[in-house]
Amino acid sequence: MSGQELPGTERRDDQGPVLRKGVGIPTSGWFDPRGRALGGFAFAVNRVTGLGLVAYLYLHLAVLSMLLRGGSAWSGFLRLATSWLFLSLDVLLIFGILYHGLNGIRVALVGSGIVADRQKALWWALGVIGTLALAFSAIHIYGSR
Amino acid sequence: MATIRTRGTARRRSARAPRSAGEWRITTLTGLGLLVLLAVHMVANHFVVKSIGGLRDYRQVLAYIANPVIFTIESLFLLFVTVHAMLGLRSVLLDLDPSPRLHRWIDRGLAVLGLVTLAYGYFLIGTLASRA
Repeated sequence: MSGQELPGTERRDDQGPVLRKGVGIPTSGWFDPRGRALGGFAFAVNRVTGLGLVAYLYLHLAVLSMLLRGGSAWSGFLRLATSWLFLSLDVLLIFGILYHGLNGIRVALVGSGIVADRQKALWWALGVIGTLALAFSAIHIYGSR
Repeated sequence: MATIRTRGTARRRSARAPRSAGEWRITTLTGLGLLVLLAVHMVANHFVVKSIGGLRDYRQVLAYIANPVIFTIESLFLLFVTVHAMLGLRSVLLDLDPSPRLHRWIDRGLAVLGLVTLAYGYFLIGTLASRA
């Protein structure tokens, strides 16, 4: 042995709070936004948008079920669906899709080790692409009125 | 021999099964597939239609879904989105650290929910395509 001690060896037996390390899920849960780094924040928003999209999947199936009742039921829905409020919900939906999808690309690239050390840059770059795509979609949706 | 009671054993927690590499791979692959299928779905279904919000009327919807290419794309889309959604839900629920028994019920429940979703979705697509 060289006689050198590892850093922190002298504090090994100290009593005290356990310090949280890394960007893992704190005990308060992934939905708690406090004290998060960018990666943790991105993860929490990814979860929220994912849950929203699952809810939308079933809402979408319920709405499409109106088609089974014929043309008049669908026409009634179209009158509601083309209102300003409903179109705004469409824009919110596209935000959820874009965030979840683009963040998914980031997670896949980082998780597979392709760009393991560029996750922040990737988040911002995909954020710009997502913002532009959202703006284009919003203009298209509101412009169709 | 003395028994040391540590803080970790004071509150017994179930051992959380780590997310397997296979599960991560399926979630990622279905996610990547969804990006392509969703882009096609959004463009073909909403962005090429000249109407408010890109919404088709009843006759247009039936003609759209009866197209064999669109029927295949929408069928694949339903499969990918359901698998991805169930794996995502499972991930969220397992983060709540359920007991092994509850863990098994979550797996069974999500498998049933996924199958029911697929069955209803394919019934819907098939019925509408047959009406065109």
